[in-house]
Amino acid sequence: MSPSANAAFVADLAQRHLDAAYNLGRWLLGNDQDAADAVHDAFVRALRAAHTYAGGNARAWWLAIVRNSCLAVLATRKRQPALRLVDAPEPADDDEVEANAAAAQAQSRLARHLRALPVEFREALLLREIEDLSYREIADALGVPIGTVMSRLSRGRALLQRSLSGGSGTQTALETKHGL
Amino acid sequence: MDCKTAASLIEAYLDNELDRADARELEAHLESCAACRAALERLDDLRRRLREPDLRYAAPAALHERIAMSAQATRTSRRSPPAWLRYAAACVIAFGAGGISMRLWHAAESGNALQEQVDRDLFAAHWRALAAASPMDVVSTDQHTVKPWFAGKVPESPLVRDFAAQGFALAGGRIDYVGGGRVPVLVYRHGQHWIDVFVFASGTPMPAAAQVQGYHLVPIQLGNQPAAVVTDMEATELSSLIRLLTTPA
Repeated sequence: MSPSANAAFVADLAQRHLDAAYNLGRWLLGNDQDAADAVHDAFVRALRAAHTYAGGNARAWWLAIVRNSCLAVLATRKRQPALRLVDAPEPADDDEVEANAAAAQAQSRLARHLRALPVEFREALLLREIEDLSYREIADALGVPIGTVMSRLSRGRALLQRSLSGGSGTQTALETKHGL
Repeated sequence: MDCKTAASLIEAYLDNELDRADARELEAHLESCAACRAALERLDDLRRRLREPDLRYAAPAALHERIAMSAQATRTSRRSPPAWLRYAAACVIAFGAGGISMRLWHAAESGNALQEQVDRDLFAAHWRALAAASPMDVVSTDQHTVKPWFAGKVPESPLVRDFAAQGFALAGGRIDYVGGGRVPVLVYRHGQHWIDVFVFASGTPMPAAAQVQGYHLVPIQLGNQPAAVVTDMEATELSSLIRLLTTPA
């Protein structure tokens, strides 16, 4: 339909789901600046691609565009491996300020493990567990079959659970791979 | 069902992606198997922890501003006359029944959050429909086709009239979600413009008049139901349509 209606639709959509978009970008890219840039880039892409929205869950359509912008940033990083600030592996739990709160410790351990997960598992988990997208919507966002979504979710959950229950071997291996 | 089969289904069950028959069989197994129940609880616990707010990053204010500025830069310069809001209010008071203008007045004064949410929903629904492949679920220029189509889909079938002779052709109808409820929408066409008329159940408070980026929302009384007209049409054309809609048949 008319370009101005498309623009208004995308602007409303992006502003409503800006926190979700930023959260996804922040977890995929590991720092504030890249996440904000990727979300803004996604907004510009969404304005240009508004005509590709064909009904259905508009939030899933928007998050898929955000995810693609983030992947573009990751691809640039691979080509130009410059030093950049990514969430460093956090110090061990006994250094935590909230050392008295066991629950807070467990949460920060979970965050560390999620950060250390390979990106294909991390993105599937973020879209399913945090953003509550369906298998079909995740499959469309990632451009993979539903079966692949299911196996990545399953593997991602298993890795997180194993590392949480004290599988330190997995954790160290993943963090080494992820580190600078 | 054995534990191996259960294990292969348990995540789809947690994700609400299992069909009803399989879900029922799995539930029967879970009743009798503590180990599989524990596995489900662990998955559920992981989800609960992943969803806790301390794992979420909120968009910084600077990003909100950047997006708002980009949105402003791309929006078209179609502007309404500054006197529009007064004009719209005059329209409603002139054509609406007595009680309605009171309610509108009240809404305009209190400007409450619920009212704003309904307005947001109305604009968003209009834009979503414009961006979708077709803004109608039932395409018909015949009021005798559109009205029965609504019956059975919504509790109150709205008054449907075609004004093709006056330049506002009935194009069809659809069902949309506004304020959490299903609302019938009449779709009219005037030249390049699409006009949505959202019709609410009798007794629903009127939405507040508003305008966003060249789009207008005008509350009207359609038969005995409150309704909202949403469009990017110019004020003079819009007032002609409103006069047609609010004139008793």
